[in-house]
Amino acid sequence: MMAARPRAALLDRDALSRWAIMLVLVALYAAAVAVSSAFLDPTYLGNIVRQAAPVGIAAIGTTLVMIVGCIDLSIGAIISLTAVLCAVLMEGNAERVPLAVSVTLAAGAGLGAINGALVCASRASSFILTLGSGLAIYGLTQIYSGGTARGIVAPGFREFFNQRIGDVLPVLALALLTLALLLEALLRTTRFGRHLYLIGSNREAARLAGLPVAGVTFACYVISGLFAALGGIAVLARSGVSSTFTGRGFEFDALAAIVLGGTVFSGGRGSVLGTVAGVLVLFIAFNMVNILGLNYNLQLVLKGAIIIAASAAYARLGAER
Amino acid sequence: MGRARRLADFVAGAGIYALLAAGIVLALAFVPGFAAPENLANVLTQSAALALVAIGQTFVIVGGMIDLSVGQLLGLTVVLVCALTDGSAAALPAVLLALAATGIGVGLAHGWLVNRLQIEPLILTFGSLSILQGAIFAFTDRSVGRAPEALAWLANGRIGALPVAGLALILCALLAHVILRHTRFGLRLIAVGSDAGSARRAGVDVSRIRLLAFVLSALGAVLGGLIVAGRLGIGYPNAGQGFELDAIVAAVLGGASLAGGKGSIAGTVAAVLLLGVISNSLNLLEVSAFVQTSAKGLIVVVAILATGWRPRTLAVSPS
Repeated sequence: MMAARPRAALLDRDALSRWAIMLVLVALYAAAVAVSSAFLDPTYLGNIVRQAAPVGIAAIGTTLVMIVGCIDLSIGAIISLTAVLCAVLMEGNAERVPLAVSVTLAAGAGLGAINGALVCASRASSFILTLGSGLAIYGLTQIYSGGTARGIVAPGFREFFNQRIGDVLPVLALALLTLALLLEALLRTTRFGRHLYLIGSNREAARLAGLPVAGVTFACYVISGLFAALGGIAVLARSGVSSTFTGRGFEFDALAAIVLGGTVFSGGRGSVLGTVAGVLVLFIAFNMVNILGLNYNLQLVLKGAIIIAASAAYARLGAER
Repeated sequence: MGRARRLADFVAGAGIYALLAAGIVLALAFVPGFAAPENLANVLTQSAALALVAIGQTFVIVGGMIDLSVGQLLGLTVVLVCALTDGSAAALPAVLLALAATGIGVGLAHGWLVNRLQIEPLILTFGSLSILQGAIFAFTDRSVGRAPEALAWLANGRIGALPVAGLALILCALLAHVILRHTRFGLRLIAVGSDAGSARRAGVDVSRIRLLAFVLSALGAVLGGLIVAGRLGIGYPNAGQGFELDAIVAAVLGGASLAGGKGSIAGTVAAVLLLGVISNSLNLLEVSAFVQTSAKGLIVVVAILATGWRPRTLAVSPS
C-alpha cells in the first residue's frame, strides 16, 4: 500500500510504528469479538484493563528509559519489593495507607535513582547493570519477606482500587490510563520530552550540543523506578497478597509490550500510548485463550507467537517506508 | 596501532582472571572446607552446565545478538531426555540424536527469523522463551521420567580424581576457543558483531554466520541440559529457569560486549568459575539462599563496574 507513494512522507516511520500497534489492537479486538461476545461487554473490557494495570503502569515508566536509549531490567524486582514493603507498612490499618504509599513510592524512586547513577557513572551497558541490580533487589525482597507472603493489606485498600466508576471502569484501570496520558503529555509538551528523543536518537550529538544527557538519563531511571513502585502498589491492590514472586518476569512482559508499542531498542523513537496499546494486545490475547477454554501453556505459546509476529511486522513496515 | 589496541584489550580482558584469582585466594584463606579436593571437584562439576550454556551464549553475543531462550531449551532437554529414555541406556542414543536435532532446529529458526524478518534478537528469543516454556508445560507440569546412568556419570562421575563434567567442560571450551579464534567462521563472527554492514560489504555471508551462532548457542543449551538432567536424575520442568540471565552475565563479565564484536571463551569460563566459587563459598559459610541472591546481584554490579571499562562510544548503550 505504501509502494504507491514511497517517498511521500505522509506518515513518517515514527507515526507508522505508532499506528501499527493501534491497527493490531483493533484487528485483535475484532477477532476477540468474533470469538466471544463477552468482549462487547464494557464491564469485561474494564476487567481486562484492570488486569493489565500492574504491568502496564510499570511499562509506561520504563518506556522513557527505552526512548532515551537504555534499558531497565530491574523493574520486576522493584515491583516485588515495593508490593511487599507497602503491605508490611500498612499493617492492615487503613490510617497507615498514606504513609505506606508514600514510603513505597519513595523507595521505588530511590532504587531508580541508584540504577540511574550506576548507568550514568559507568560505561558498562545498562542491560547488564540493571540485570545485576535487579538480582540484588530481588534478593533483598526475599530477605525482607522471609521468602513468603508478608504484611496485611488495609481494609478498604483493595475495595477502593477495584471499585467501578459508573459500574464500568475500575479505578485501577483508570489509574493506568491517567498515568499514561500524563507521561505522554510530559513527552510531547515539555523540554524534558524533547531532550529525551534527541538524546535517544544520537547520544553523542546531544552531548556535543550541550544537552543535559546524564541528567535526563538519570531522571528517566527515577521515573522508571517510581512507576515500578506504582505497579507494585497496583499488584497489591489487584491481588491483595504480596509475595516475593509477585513481580517476577514482569520486566520482560513490560519490555515486550514496549517493543510491541513501537519503541525501538536503539532509542529515539516510541510513545507511551503505544506501550499501553501493546499491553492491551497482550492481555486481550490472554483473555481470548482463557475464554476459549485453552490452558496456561497455550497462553505462553501464544504470547511468544504474538511477540515474534508483531516485531516481524514492524521490521517489515520499517523496511517498506 | 594494532599492538596497542591488542594490549588495551588484554588489560581490559585480564580483569576477570584477576577477580577469579582473588576469589579463589579469598576462598582458600577464609572458607573452611573449600580447599578439600572433593569440594574443588564439586565447584567444577556444578559450574559445568552453566559454562556450556554461557559458551554458546558467547558466540551469539560476539555476533552482536543475544539469546534469551537457552534456559527454557535447557529445561526442555532435561524433561525430554528423562521422559523419553526413562532411565534406559538403550534408548539414549536415539534420544540424543533427536535432542541435537531439536537444538539445531531451534537455532536455525532463530537465525532464519533474525535474517529474513529482521526481528530484534532480544525480543525474538524472549518470544521463543515463552513458546518453549509453553511446550515444556504442555508436555508435563510435574517432574517426569528418570535420567539414564550415562548422564549421571557425565554429571557426577569421576575419572581418577577428575570430575567427568569438568573434563567435558574443558574439552568443549577448547573446541569453542578454536572455533572462535582460529576458524574463518569465528573471525567472520567477530567482524559481523563489530559492524555487520562492513562485514557484508567485505563479502561475508552475514546471514549464515548469524544462523551458525544461534545453532551453537542452542547446542550449548542442549549439552548443559544433559548435565543438569544427570545431576537431578529426573525431568524437572523448571530446571532451566534463570540459566539465560546467568549465561549472559558470565559472558559479559568474561569480557564480551553486548554491542558485539568482542568476547572470549576463556573469559566466559573464568566468569562462570568465579560465580561458582562465590556460590560454593557462600554455601559452605551457610549463608541463606536469600542473602546469596542479593550478594550475587551486588557482585555482578561491582564486577561489571570493575571490568567494564569500555570505549567511550559505547557508553550507556542498551546493547
